[in-house]
Amino acid sequence: MKSRISQVSVGILAAAFFCQAALQRGFIFNQWKQSYSLSKNNEAGLSIGKGLDPLQMVFALAGFREMIAGILWVRADDFFDSGNYDAILPIIRLVTLLDPSEIDVYATGMWHIGYNFTDEEQRSDRRYIPSALALGEEGARNNPDTYELFFETGWIWYHKIDDDYEHAVDWFEKAQKRADMIPARKNLLGMAYQRAGLVEKGLQKYEDLENEALAAYNKNANDFSSRQNRDVIENNIDTMLVRMVQRGYVAELNKRSLEPYDVSPPFDVGFSAKATVVEPNVIKFEGTWNVLPVGTRVRVVLRDQEYTAEVDGKMKDITEPGGMIWDYSGNVNLDPPRDRTFMQDQLFVRNRRFNRKVDMSKDPTMYPFTSDKYLIEFFYDPRSAPPHIQDKFSWNGEGMTDKNFLNTKIRKDTRVVYATLTLTKDQIKRRNEWADKVPVVETSNYKEIDKAVGSDDVIVDIPSLRAGGK
Amino acid sequence: MRPIIAIASTTVGEAIRRRVLLVILLLAIVLLVVAPGLGILSARSETTVLKGMMLGIIQLFSAVIAIVLTVYMIPNEIERRTIYTILSKPVQRWQFLVGKYLGAVAALALMMALMCVVLVVVFIIEHQDLAAVADVLKAPMMYFVQMSLLAAVAIFFSTFVAPLVNFFLTGGLFLLGSLFNPFFQTLQDNASTNPVAKNAAMIVNTILPNFSNYNIQNPIINPNSQIQNEKTYYISITFYGLCYITILLVAGIWVFDRREV
Repeated sequence: MKSRISQVSVGILAAAFFCQAALQRGFIFNQWKQSYSLSKNNEAGLSIGKGLDPLQMVFALAGFREMIAGILWVRADDFFDSGNYDAILPIIRLVTLLDPSEIDVYATGMWHIGYNFTDEEQRSDRRYIPSALALGEEGARNNPDTYELFFETGWIWYHKIDDDYEHAVDWFEKAQKRADMIPARKNLLGMAYQRAGLVEKGLQKYEDLENEALAAYNKNANDFSSRQNRDVIENNIDTMLVRMVQRGYVAELNKRSLEPYDVSPPFDVGFSAKATVVEPNVIKFEGTWNVLPVGTRVRVVLRDQEYTAEVDGKMKDITEPGGMIWDYSGNVNLDPPRDRTFMQDQLFVRNRRFNRKVDMSKDPTMYPFTSDKYLIEFFYDPRSAPPHIQDKFSWNGEGMTDKNFLNTKIRKDTRVVYATLTLTKDQIKRRNEWADKVPVVETSNYKEIDKAVGSDDVIVDIPSLRAGGK
Repeated sequence: MRPIIAIASTTVGEAIRRRVLLVILLLAIVLLVVAPGLGILSARSETTVLKGMMLGIIQLFSAVIAIVLTVYMIPNEIERRTIYTILSKPVQRWQFLVGKYLGAVAALALMMALMCVVLVVVFIIEHQDLAAVADVLKAPMMYFVQMSLLAAVAIFFSTFVAPLVNFFLTGGLFLLGSLFNPFFQTLQDNASTNPVAKNAAMIVNTILPNFSNYNIQNPIINPNSQIQNEKTYYISITFYGLCYITILLVAGIWVFDRREV
């Protein structure tokens, strides 16, 4: 009898064991991963344990993730107040892993990563920007029903990266598909279309928004925000129509001659540049730009000549002229490539010349100079220019040219100015043969500043819209 | 069947009279009542924090109650020698063990139900949203299956180890089992994981009970998440739990049957 009971027991055990194993492996795990996992983007897993003290870890595992996330974010606020920005990074990551619905943490984290890491001269550490974008993408993926993280990611493209407006348009369009998008923020898409060279789409967007704003205003004429929004959009449309005429866009559409317009014939900006290593890791950039009004900023980038990063398990070149493939990384990596150098600054043009000393000697972690060769890039994109400059150069640089450095290939449908120079590590660090010699590299057309402004030079003086023209 | 019901009802009565369990329950209820005050931790996600906090309290305290309730059950009967009185009657050992287990589960159900009542009251006072309450209650239902499985683990160990060892063994297994799915997900999604490690993880997952299947709170706390085959999933994990409970009880009976008492 006893052996029969034993046999039954073993039979029950085997059947139950088989059933649970089949269920777990065949259905439950996949279903859990699809619907119940904390993070569906393969970021969370057990990594939430990194950086939590044991008590927090126990609490997090016990199901108090949202509470722990809240406590951590309160702690991060203290670090913001004390300026301890490095300490905030792991907290941002932990909070977003513990509670992927924390929209404010994603948004603040992106801004913090993208803007707050600077050198002694307030230049951003742009090696962090791919992380900021990846964080925004992850946040948008985890919170697809609200516009906020789509808008914030678009803002990084629009404002921080500031020369790849197609991406900004893409994100702003996604944001506008969300029902909770704030009406006043929708206007930015119209501006992003213009910056991306999509002028008619920009106008169309403003007109659509005007219809929406009028409907909201007619519904409640006493609502201040509806009235203000309507007024802003009408003002935007007025300004845009003036610009379309002034910049010859309408004439071109009607196949009329562009001769009487400011953008025609294209004006030669006469770009030239020189870089002098005045001290170890300190470089003076000088050059010419024949445009008189204030407002021109020429971008200068100094980076490793070979700037690679791991993409899909392989090392790939992630540079593009004047910048980087900013969204190369799909993962949020808060530890940027410490062995890479990427300096980006603006050279402010005054009286048709620029002259700026860039001191990288005080920030060795941001500018490690570990490679042997470095590329200096000078880049001017009229799409990023302020409106009064665009009134002369137009949206895509139609009114701008340069005898030596005009480039129509590196940015789609845009005429940009692009020049490069190279320096070696020894030159930048003033070592070996360069210890007593001053390294100087310059474009072939460079003339010393005091000789550059001659009486024969043609100078463009752009009329200001505000002043009512010349 | 009658002996099983008699033992189970006696066990429920004993559990309700145990002060330590009542203190744990009282603590859980107090925390559930003060939970809305912690909404300030998140400026725009008060409901998220509240739901997460309340479900966390129920899960954590239910686990503690399940372990404390069951680890002492068999050893106490042996220590007090009351088991001899019971087994001298026409009661089989398997009936004794199953009765004890069912009693523990019934007591657990009572205590969890009380916590759920408090949750519902607090949630309705805070949000006046009955539909949301019904949604939130899905998690405690699955926690009940999870805790029944935990109680089965504890009762299985209680047939051959001392209560203190059992406490840590069961608690450790619960913590470990609660990490299984996130851990396997990390292994599976990471292309560079060693295949040997993947296979080892698969074997461990097949042998040990997976408590993380019942952690279904994420889409409940964050309602924007999409859930597929919700009912099928709940039925599957309930059946999975029943299979494991059967395994543990049969194994427990097998050990208990051979033990010198």
